[in-house]
Amino acid sequence: MNALAIAVVVWVDWMRRKDVYVFLVMLVAILFAVTSVDAFGLRGVALYGLDVALLLAWLFGWLLAVNAGSRELPQEESRGTVFLLLAKPMTRADLVIGKWIGAWTSVACAVALFYVAGSAVAWLRGVRFDAVVMVQALLLHAVALAILTALAVACSTRLNRDAAATLSGTISVAAFLLAHRIPELALHSRGWQGDALLVLYYVLPHLELFDIRQRVVHGFGPVGTATTASVILYGIALTATLLLAAWLAYRGKRFSRGALAE
Amino acid sequence: MDLPILVENLVVRFASSRGADVRAVDGLTLRVEAGQAIGFLGPNGAGKTTAIHVMLGFIPADSGRVSLFGRDARDAAARRRIGYLPEQADAYRFLTGREWLRFTGRLCGLRGRALENRVEATLDEVDLREAADRRIATYSRGMRQRIALGQALVHEPSLLILDEPTSGLDPVARLRFRNRMAAWRAEGRTIFFSSHELSEVELVCDRVAILARGRLLAEGPPSSLVKPGERLEACFMRTVGEGGGP
Repeated sequence: MNALAIAVVVWVDWMRRKDVYVFLVMLVAILFAVTSVDAFGLRGVALYGLDVALLLAWLFGWLLAVNAGSRELPQEESRGTVFLLLAKPMTRADLVIGKWIGAWTSVACAVALFYVAGSAVAWLRGVRFDAVVMVQALLLHAVALAILTALAVACSTRLNRDAAATLSGTISVAAFLLAHRIPELALHSRGWQGDALLVLYYVLPHLELFDIRQRVVHGFGPVGTATTASVILYGIALTATLLLAAWLAYRGKRFSRGALAE
Repeated sequence: MDLPILVENLVVRFASSRGADVRAVDGLTLRVEAGQAIGFLGPNGAGKTTAIHVMLGFIPADSGRVSLFGRDARDAAARRRIGYLPEQADAYRFLTGREWLRFTGRLCGLRGRALENRVEATLDEVDLREAADRRIATYSRGMRQRIALGQALVHEPSLLILDEPTSGLDPVARLRFRNRMAAWRAEGRTIFFSSHELSEVELVCDRVAILARGRLLAEGPPSSLVKPGERLEACFMRTVGEGGGP
């Protein structure tokens, strides 16, 4: 219950920050401009507008998840409120999980709003897509955001906000762009280099599994239920592992007045 | 009955910037009985806040033992009966005063009607009813100190641990705080309070503990520590001087 109380406060903090609204309005404006493109009267161009809109949703979600996840715990230390919280009858696990729930759900809701806005604008521009695939895309995207926020929270247990954001941002970009290409590289590597690449393949989060934008845009139809469930289970397992690591790192952390100066 | 605070041979070490081993708290032993008000005194860097942080489980002890109401200080349940006001206390500035107290009350296990009743009573206790629905960001420094104190009182703790609670307060706010301390004592609460304000300690506390360089130099009722005709301030200076304080 304490974790939920903390999550609610993270939500209130989000709702009262003006920068999130500015960001959302800016993205919707970009979305409108992109989907308005109708070069040479080709209807198909609007379809690529939807592609760009979904790409923006991923970029926007990534930025928010890394920022929100890496901010929450260091912020408590820099303003000294961590001492008030830890003096309450709650555990450090409550604090870590509450911060993660708050950060993840608020980012996921912001991204969902963007999906709704993007879909509505695309629909108005005459783009037709499979609503089931769109819902699947959003669901899988939300699970990917759970992993990203958990990664950022885990990094922030021992690092300050900027360092945690940089590290979690770098890991997630590397995972997104490189993880699925590692087997190709491993094929051309021998000995320990090949083994190291395979280890990296299994250690890095496979965020590409959660990205089905192309299915939405090109009308490839929904992903099978068993595949979707497997990917979601993989996401849950990875998030749980990252949160466990976060708790282990935070459990033994020494809090001192020095934290206030950071 | 379990003692509100029991500290036995507490040692806390830190590595200095030069890599040397520094004992921030060095063999501290302290017993605080229920209903007592104890002033925890010492110059800057004496180890007062470090000792309090160990009591609350923020940092582990290198050796020795700390218990709160007979439980390990790191046990979350042990903190149910404690209200803590840290030095440089702050609150979530994006919340209103009422929301902040509701949040901290919830963390202490209060729910429903009981929570709302306690929030209202605490707002009265810290004189913030008028500003209860304003965001804390708009509060003055003294008001922020009071709302931070509110979170320590909202669950009616039997032990209050206050770390330099009057630093930065104006004389009127200090006087009000002193009156509140007297009221808490009358209610039978145990107060453990670190301060540089010796006159305040002299007025409010029935025991004092003087710490310097992590070591407990003197402990007992002020009347037993001061010499005839001496004030606590002179006693403090003499004790810290003899103990090799800074």
